[in-house]
Amino acid sequence: MDYARMKFYCDESRCIECDGCSVACAEAHELPTGISRRKVVTINEGIPGKEMSTSIACMHCTDAPCQQVCPVDCFYIREDGIVLHDKNTCIGCGYCLYACPFGAPQFPRDGAFGAKGAMDKCTMCAGGPLETNSEKERHLYGQNRIAEGKVPVCAAMCSTKALLVGDAESVSNVYRARVMARGGKGANSPYGWDKAYKNQ
Amino acid sequence: MRKYIVMFIALLSLASVAMAAESQIWGEMRIQNILGYGQEESLKLGPLFTMLQHHYFAWIFLGVLIGVPGAFFIHYKIIGPKVFPHSEKKYYAFNLYNRIIHQVAAVSFLVIIPTGFIIVFGDFFGGGTLVRMAKNLHGIFTIPFTIVVIPMALMWVKEAIFNMDDVKWLMIVGGYLSKEKKPILAGKFNCGQKMWYWVAILGGITMILSGAFMYFLDFKMQMLHDLTGMSQIDMLRAAAIIHNVMGFAVLALFITHVYMSMFAIKGAVHSIITGYVEEEEVKILHSTWYKKLKDQGKF
Repeated sequence: MDYARMKFYCDESRCIECDGCSVACAEAHELPTGISRRKVVTINEGIPGKEMSTSIACMHCTDAPCQQVCPVDCFYIREDGIVLHDKNTCIGCGYCLYACPFGAPQFPRDGAFGAKGAMDKCTMCAGGPLETNSEKERHLYGQNRIAEGKVPVCAAMCSTKALLVGDAESVSNVYRARVMARGGKGANSPYGWDKAYKNQ
Repeated sequence: MRKYIVMFIALLSLASVAMAAESQIWGEMRIQNILGYGQEESLKLGPLFTMLQHHYFAWIFLGVLIGVPGAFFIHYKIIGPKVFPHSEKKYYAFNLYNRIIHQVAAVSFLVIIPTGFIIVFGDFFGGGTLVRMAKNLHGIFTIPFTIVVIPMALMWVKEAIFNMDDVKWLMIVGGYLSKEKKPILAGKFNCGQKMWYWVAILGGITMILSGAFMYFLDFKMQMLHDLTGMSQIDMLRAAAIIHNVMGFAVLALFITHVYMSMFAIKGAVHSIITGYVEEEEVKILHSTWYKKLKDQGKF
């Protein structure tokens, strides 16, 4: 079976900084305080015409740099391009964060010395290496909505449909249609795609 | 006392600001960090670190780990160790303070170096509990080393300053390439020991600082940002690169230090255990020092 390549796309012209995606994510996966797999960022705040918001999480990169630097090799990339990792193998060294273009890896502090715990990041709602939809998987990685045939919760929740997730072709089609409808405005490559998907 | 409590609290808050609103990594800076990743005008530390860690660091560590002891094994087989008679005349060279400071550093290194290896070759060890424990020990045993590094630096700095003897020492590689026992020019510390001193002290401090950066991860030091013009994430990337590169040097010289004291010069290790050095050993390997001690009537 030929797998489609899954991608995230956030349309800056639609994102209204409502934070719905990050709240939905944190609630759906029951993330501890301080861990935000997805974050909405606004730049040039208050400058007319320049203000822009976007939602950022792990982009599930092609040739993911996190996987390349991991000293314990805890990352694996699914055939549909989703980048996942094994929290039982992860030692919380932080190397993936240094390699990541998007600042996606998060580190809870645990233990008496406040050492970094196992890394946590967006799974594109695809869980982890443990048995699909098991209690253990849900506890460590959150919901596995992909396995249930559901859209990742952030995109499902997005009120303006700025945040899209899906196979590369469908996302590209929506993107192209929107750019056409806007009369070609914002025809640059989607934000972050150059780094994540090498514009492919 | 209050000062220490305040310092302790400050340190704790330093560690716990990790996910606070003023995060230096996940906060406002995040967009700039993303936009700057690999851009022409940036330092490109992200891609540089990725490339080095992906392709080189582990292999270089493996090379040092096999290469340096390998070379010494050949040296041991071909040239062999230097054996000095255990004469009755001894000189008390290292007092209790010197020895305690040295031993604390020694124990720290004996934990820090093997655990560092377990982290570098974490995939070989399968990650998980073992490697996580190694990572924690790697950090915990930095504390005793941090405590002794400055006293150690101060107590030996006078003897560790390079002079003309060292040029001559280097030209004959300390006489270690010959079996002959000719007096070799050197003070209390020879050129090799001096090199180890500077790598252990300056390199050690560099390792402590770069390691602390990676441990605390998300802290705010405006002064450092102003000084380097780097964002927090770029400083962490630089710290990771420096920590690895400096690790090669510290590792290579640590192995050398152990080989010299335990194998190449039979019994040399006892000088740092008991504090006494053998006359013959000093006479040959530290002849400048020997002359000085002789003049003072110490032997």
